[in-house]
Amino acid sequence: MINIGLNTSKWLATGSTDSSPELLPKAGRIPGNGAVWVGIYAEMTEFALMFIICFAAKAHYSEVFREGPSQLNILAGLLNTLALLSSSYFVAKAVGCVRMNQVNKAVHWLWGTIAAAVFYLLVKAWEYQWNTEQGIEVDTNMFFTVYYYMTFNHFLHVAWGGGAIVWAIFRLKRGAYTPENHEGLEAIASYWHMIDLVWIIIFPLLYVLR
Amino acid sequence: MLAISSYKKKDLVWLALMTMTLASALIAESAEPSLWVTLAIAATVMVKGRLVISRFMELHNAHAYVRFSMNFYFYVLPLMILIVYLFPEFIADLTRMSG
Repeated sequence: MINIGLNTSKWLATGSTDSSPELLPKAGRIPGNGAVWVGIYAEMTEFALMFIICFAAKAHYSEVFREGPSQLNILAGLLNTLALLSSSYFVAKAVGCVRMNQVNKAVHWLWGTIAAAVFYLLVKAWEYQWNTEQGIEVDTNMFFTVYYYMTFNHFLHVAWGGGAIVWAIFRLKRGAYTPENHEGLEAIASYWHMIDLVWIIIFPLLYVLR
Repeated sequence: MLAISSYKKKDLVWLALMTMTLASALIAESAEPSLWVTLAIAATVMVKGRLVISRFMELHNAHAYVRFSMNFYFYVLPLMILIVYLFPEFIADLTRMSG
């Protein structure tokens, strides 16, 4: 790794095979800004409380939690997981492109994120419809109450997180982010990764573990 | 030695995440609940979470407090998955409303 002249207090250049060196942030920094991390910790705490409720409910209603996952549409859960993990990857690639000053490529990656988010929302809507057709409602039993509480909450986060990604595309096209300064994009990316991280826990809790 | 750029490493991380997700779905479809299945799922949650935290969020060399707190989340949650599987009665007693 070599140090280059651009704002060297924050960035380092790395040996990349791409056209421009990727400016990597120096060790010890906070990605994005402090404000977004307050939001991320608040969201992670909110979901942690939901997970605790899920664990307690599972201990009290072990029978319905044992049967519940096999009554869900595992294909929908799987597609949603693949879409969200991919969306997180697309955002990370977009940040990498901005660091290499490849703005158009970064915009394409971010549109990929939007496509994955829309796909997620459509699959989730189809899954809720499928549930209704199977006679599954919010008050069917405690497993499904927890399932709807957790997944609908997460659904809302994907929807408004997608709005933030659209804002990032708009800002990127307006030249607001440069290889040396793209704090806003990093903040939005960090928030989006948090949404993905929460789903990494929700998927096994509701669809896999019996 | 061939050095892989941080940008290209993300491709490998994505592949690993996809593979682990497909394996989890396979378990959901086929395996009966057991300690080993629960252990495997808890470990998968931890590894997937840590990969996203470290490589996509890029916390591997970020501020220690941020890195530690996020990693901690993905140690505690898999541990809780195991505890609920191993000691459901204990958790039920702990969370029972009196009266």
